[in-house]
Amino acid sequence: MEAANVFTFSAICFVVLALLLVYRLIKGPSVVDRAVAADSIDILADMALVLFALASKRSIYLDIALVTAVLGFVGSVMVSRYLEGRL
Amino acid sequence: MKKTKFSAFLSTTVVCYLFWLLLTGQLVALIQPNNPFSAQVLIAGAIVSVLTALFSARFFVHEKAFWFFNPIKLILLAVYCLIIFMWELIKANVSMFCYVFGLKKTNPGIVKVETDLESEYAQSMLANSITLTPGTITMDIAESKGKTYYYIHWIDVSTQDMKEAGDSIKGTMEKWIRRIWR
Amino acid sequence: MMDYVIYAFIAVSLIFALTGVVGMLRFKDSYSRMQASTCISTLGVLGVIIGAIIYSVAELSDISMAVKLGVLGLFYIVTSPISGHAIAKAAYRRGVRPEKKMKCDKYGEDLEDDN
Repeated sequence: MEAANVFTFSAICFVVLALLLVYRLIKGPSVVDRAVAADSIDILADMALVLFALASKRSIYLDIALVTAVLGFVGSVMVSRYLEGRL
Repeated sequence: MKKTKFSAFLSTTVVCYLFWLLLTGQLVALIQPNNPFSAQVLIAGAIVSVLTALFSARFFVHEKAFWFFNPIKLILLAVYCLIIFMWELIKANVSMFCYVFGLKKTNPGIVKVETDLESEYAQSMLANSITLTPGTITMDIAESKGKTYYYIHWIDVSTQDMKEAGDSIKGTMEKWIRRIWR
Repeated sequence: MMDYVIYAFIAVSLIFALTGVVGMLRFKDSYSRMQASTCISTLGVLGVIIGAIIYSVAELSDISMAVKLGVLGLFYIVTSPISGHAIAKAAYRRGVRPEKKMKCDKYGEDLEDDN
């Protein structure tokens, strides 16, 4: 089996896992569940990007993954500060 | 607002510059001969890291500024991160696997645990280590009468006694962190 | 031979990401779901990152890519607990409580004492 195919397949698995979490994002009873689910979707999409970078042998996807990671962290800290009423 | 100390400024600048070199791939230029240094990138990185350190040094460094550059402590830190903490992480992940797929019953609750670490960095490092292991989340740190307490959400409360719960949550991590930040 | 090591790391990562996702869908209260999401951001990330570092050094011989991957993994390990306990504390202060009563709740008792 070729390595690129394996990487693409596992990237697709990560995207499917992220899509499963959309259920929690929509239904989640409290806003905290939604924030955590959005954070986890961000991480899973990042992992898919890393695997695509390996499959296509280009490191440009890694820069995008780094930017997404930073934005996800800032976003979830922002949400928690807003919930505490200090924003 | 606190004043920025010069030593704090200096160590933050060095760390920022190292990070810049890592991200722009200039450290790799040492290894690969066909990818030479670029003076522009080096100078821009120096200016940006000085500016960043001017603004942010007072938030990062409160105690000894040059701790980070002590090689013995760095080796201890690497041993802690790569062996001790990784082992705790794997154990906790496997037990989380058992909880999720119904092999063990969950029993959530919030317990209060005492710690006797003194340095601020050590306290926050222990809190972060506890949060990173699945199954325990540090919710708050409180200080009263000179002692420091963590409030920890624990997915399987086996004991409510402060000492036993502390031993079972912190494990060997607290000993190593005390050794690192002594 | 090296390929199979990389595949094994990615498989470990997929297993623990699946654990986290199933836990987030299946657990009953918010805090337990938060615990399950920690699973995704620790071993779920580290497996892929370590496998990718091995691949980019051994097969692609592209060291700058490996360094970038290392920075990405370090960033995740440093930041995920911070957002974790920020969100947990905010949820408690906001008044999110599990439906089934928790076995013990020392934090709530101490907060009531303060007020």
